[in-house]
Amino acid sequence: MTMDATRMDNSTKQENELLIEVKNLEVRFPIRKKKLFSSEVSYLRAVDDVSFDIRRGETVGLVGESGSGKTTVGRAILRAIDPTAGDVIFHTREHDIYLDELEGEELRRFRKKMGMVFSEGPHSIANMASDILRSFRPRMSLVFQDPYSSLNPRMTVRDIIAEPLVASGMMKNRDKIDQRVRDIASRCKLNLEHLRRFPHAFSGGQRQRICIARALVTRPDFVVCDESVSALDVSIQAEIVNLLKDLQEEMGVAFLFIAHDLSVVAQMSHRVAVMYVGKFVEYAPTESLFYKPRHPYTHALLSAIPTIDPDESFDPIRLEGEIPNPLAAPSGCRFHTRCPYATEQCASEIPTWQEIAPEHFVACHRVDEFDFSRDKQSADTTD
Amino acid sequence: MLKVENLSISFRTDEGLITPVQDIAFEVQPGRTLGIVGESGSGKSISTKALMQLLPGNGIISSEAKILYTDKSGKTRDINRLGKKGRAIRHIRGGEIGMIFQEPMASFSPVYTIGNQMVEAIRLHRNVGRKDARRIAVEMLDKVGISNPEARVDQYPHEMSGGMRQRAMIALALSAGPALLIADEPTTALDVTIQAQVLELMRNLQRDLSMGMIFITHDLGVISHIADDVAVMYLGTIVERGPTDKVIHEPAHPYTQGLIKALPSVDRLHDRLTPIPGDIPSPNDRPTGCPFHTRCTKVIAGLCDQHQPQILQVGEDHTVRCFLHEKQQRASA
Repeated sequence: MTMDATRMDNSTKQENELLIEVKNLEVRFPIRKKKLFSSEVSYLRAVDDVSFDIRRGETVGLVGESGSGKTTVGRAILRAIDPTAGDVIFHTREHDIYLDELEGEELRRFRKKMGMVFSEGPHSIANMASDILRSFRPRMSLVFQDPYSSLNPRMTVRDIIAEPLVASGMMKNRDKIDQRVRDIASRCKLNLEHLRRFPHAFSGGQRQRICIARALVTRPDFVVCDESVSALDVSIQAEIVNLLKDLQEEMGVAFLFIAHDLSVVAQMSHRVAVMYVGKFVEYAPTESLFYKPRHPYTHALLSAIPTIDPDESFDPIRLEGEIPNPLAAPSGCRFHTRCPYATEQCASEIPTWQEIAPEHFVACHRVDEFDFSRDKQSADTTD
Repeated sequence: MLKVENLSISFRTDEGLITPVQDIAFEVQPGRTLGIVGESGSGKSISTKALMQLLPGNGIISSEAKILYTDKSGKTRDINRLGKKGRAIRHIRGGEIGMIFQEPMASFSPVYTIGNQMVEAIRLHRNVGRKDARRIAVEMLDKVGISNPEARVDQYPHEMSGGMRQRAMIALALSAGPALLIADEPTTALDVTIQAQVLELMRNLQRDLSMGMIFITHDLGVISHIADDVAVMYLGTIVERGPTDKVIHEPAHPYTQGLIKALPSVDRLHDRLTPIPGDIPSPNDRPTGCPFHTRCTKVIAGLCDQHQPQILQVGEDHTVRCFLHEKQQRASA
């Protein structure tokens, strides 16, 4: 396994190497309202002007409430959804690829090369088998939320895990595939005896480990984990979080970790982005975001997590009203309708996305006036 | 006001009789909240459904079970003797014991307006006319913080957002004026900011109406902020029960300790999480002896896997089912 050796070597050598750059990403969905003779088209801006980057071997957490567009960002990066505007740049070791410019046949080829597997629902990827460019290294993959609906009940665990290899044409030799499957299965702490069984025999935690093994079998550079631990019980959730961390260390894979549970994201991520109605409001290293948040929304979100310690005062900041409908997103700063500090400027002008400290990005007009730092012993350990 | 003893629930299935709830006991006092925590399959929802005789047709409540409920007029009855049909149980469901479910969309009928459904519930339990019932409905919607209740009362459930629907659900449950409220994961489907709003609302309403409440959740964080007492369930048994701060600060059962340790926290970013080893066994093959012994790190061979531990007092109102404490108590005695 010489490829392994170089990969390990590279990941330690180039810690700050960029893997994915997202620039001004925008995704709009047309909403058609049918009338008797005509139809009216309006656009839902699920993602609006989002820019960030992900480094090799890093975990970027993406949090936000339902409808904020987290999943759409993840899928747009994988090109499972077409971005309306903006750039998604995948940095390969050889040369950069502009994902958003790929079209038709080229895009299909790219997907095959990437070994992307979408097994949610009855997608058959058997006919995707191809012999195009096996040597191409950058690959990406996806782990879904529900381990019950994302495994085909008619396939054995071995076949499920092997599917990305077969589908992408990366490997043809049965023995080699078996070897790779056994390798990744044991890394994911699956019992090798179980490879011959069908998914119905497994518990939620074991199923999610199968999904992770399937996502990692092609040795991707980048995996999107979309609420991958949200459906699991606490005791199992901790195990999967640990497993993902270990696998990242071993294989140097980068994760985009999408979740609504802030404490899990804090545990997993090196950097965290907060989304609100289609826009990023804050992006910072985990410690800064949790202990020195600068955006009022981040602050409110953090205050709303019920901590288990009854000594700690639980005094969530009362946000008025509900999350706005993205179809009629508020003007100016999207948070102004619920923000306790909103001014007239907030209602009319869109705040700029600015770097207020190294790697700490915020979009807020009044950012200089706020300091939401929480006095925690660990707050001063970094930055 | 509610006292449950020896409650076991079984289901007739194709694979034979399974018993997801075994011999549990708890009580609820007026004005206090009992939190029931447990992972999926621990039987927390099933045991509260039994309280209202809402089990599916193949469910059986053990005959020695006692579900003693003292109603608003001070009469005590055993709900287990009431059967699933008839006037008495219909009066208790909704009128005496209200219930809130996790998915508000699934508990409202999509084809009637919110007001329509509330008026129906109010008229069923209170002796009022249609007009008065509607007035009460509007008042209730206002009480749970729905803005513009006069207009909202004529809306259909799909026209409301998730948080508002859950508020409407609470309003519906409270409109019949129950003395005890059972809330089954009422905030699990909500976002954290909305969850915070709903929790605050429920706490305030409970204080104002001095209702008893049973709050079921898998989230220990939520429990520690809403419940006065906690019962921790694992595979159909209550393994630990006590006042919330006692159970969270000095957990006595290895399972409770494990649950608390496994919880990710914003305040411990660099520590590795400690999961409870192994998987939750299926209720089809419950382990013999202590149900937790297959995953317990402090298992005593030959004892925990053979015998069912008894309920032990470890503090004031704090009980646990674990042999470790039996040993300690014997040693100190």
